[in-house]
Amino acid sequence: MEPVISLKDILVEQGADFTLSVENLELMPRRIYALTGPNGAGKTTLLRIMALLTFPQQGSVSFAAGGSGLVDKRQNVTFVEQSPYLFDGSVSDNLAFGLKLRGVSRKEQKKHIAETLTLVGLAGFELRNSRKLSGGEVQRVALARALVLKPQILLLDEPTSNIDKKSLSSFETLLASLPNTGSTIVFATHDMSQPERLGAQMLRIENGRLLDRPRQSIDSVDTKQQEKRLWLNPLNLPGH
Amino acid sequence: MGYLIDSFVAAIGLIFTFDREVQFAVWTSLYTSSCSIAFAALIGIPSGLMLGTNRFRGRRLIITLLNTLMALPTVVVGLVLFGLFSRQGPLGSLGLLFTPWAMIAGQTVLAAPIVANYVLAAVSGSDPRIMDTVYTLGASNVQAAVQLMKEIRFGVMAAVIAGFGRVIAEVGVAMMLGGNIRGTTRTMTTAIALETSKGEFAFGLSLGIVLLCVALLVNLFLNLLQQR
Repeated sequence: MEPVISLKDILVEQGADFTLSVENLELMPRRIYALTGPNGAGKTTLLRIMALLTFPQQGSVSFAAGGSGLVDKRQNVTFVEQSPYLFDGSVSDNLAFGLKLRGVSRKEQKKHIAETLTLVGLAGFELRNSRKLSGGEVQRVALARALVLKPQILLLDEPTSNIDKKSLSSFETLLASLPNTGSTIVFATHDMSQPERLGAQMLRIENGRLLDRPRQSIDSVDTKQQEKRLWLNPLNLPGH
Repeated sequence: MGYLIDSFVAAIGLIFTFDREVQFAVWTSLYTSSCSIAFAALIGIPSGLMLGTNRFRGRRLIITLLNTLMALPTVVVGLVLFGLFSRQGPLGSLGLLFTPWAMIAGQTVLAAPIVANYVLAAVSGSDPRIMDTVYTLGASNVQAAVQLMKEIRFGVMAAVIAGFGRVIAEVGVAMMLGGNIRGTTRTMTTAIALETSKGEFAFGLSLGIVLLCVALLVNLFLNLLQQR
């Protein structure tokens, strides 16, 4: 199976204090990866490189799909920041932004937005003002805004940092189910038990160096069954 | 004191009797200022966005130049454009000198750096996550700039209003490039200068009151935007 994203000989130097160096990193489709490591280890920088928001001084980032232009490549991957920015307007306006860029009709937009908000536990939030949401709701809307685009790769920087303990379990269940939608998930976390809870492969990073190499084989996943399920129920919504 | 009060009463009379001369000067001022601010916005907004969102060699120099242009004396702009538009000048064949279009060109030169600088300040003060967010959702550079402009729309509006305030109150460009021709290029400011020098103080005062009201409205609107 071809990796969805490959990073080769990446080198990023930010001032005299920080260097990120990744020799080779290949991430497989429909997998969930957890980037762990101490503050300043390079987790966010690595996510930003994969999101094509930070450009390394050296090395290459390539995708299995997508065109040759930067905009086409960026449409394969969506990055949700630790403290996400929501556009001024309604929740629906935020989710519609990327869909409009992809030429999705208004009717389809409405349908996808309602489905995705239900998925993140915010059903009926369409008309809510984005500036009047709680921290946890902002994080969920930002996740929904990324999910509605059905990206090949979804990058999440500490996605549960603003989620309260009560909602954490359902949020983690949602994250763990995302590979079923066809996306590869990479999330950064400080919580060392979270990768295990989410069934994620751990990628430890320290002082700008990756300590683990991701496994290439697909363990315990019946690919044909998975594909059939995805075709029938792309967002893994209940009732399909 | 009586002279001032009498003039003030006469000025109010001229405004409320819709004196044709007053009306024409007000119309010319509003027309030329509106056109010039539209052109200045077309130049200044993209320039400000471009300077604010990109880092390139020579950027600091351009910003310094823009700051200098903001304080450009209106008569200097008038002088340079007069040279360009005069019969012997390189653009003399266009026959623009002493027409409203020459005034609009001059006022555009005055307002564009103001609009660009205000937009640049708005971009610099905006949330740095905006551009990352629009790019990661798949926007091109132009789509990203449009979304950024929506997010900082109050700053952009403030830029346009500040530019409008500058051009509607200026006299140098209007005088030098418009020529203060009655019925064609006479604006509020040039009419005030001329009529007062002729001893028509009440007429000048009436236009001064209208100009002050326009400036007041512009500033009230600007304050309203800044409070949001």
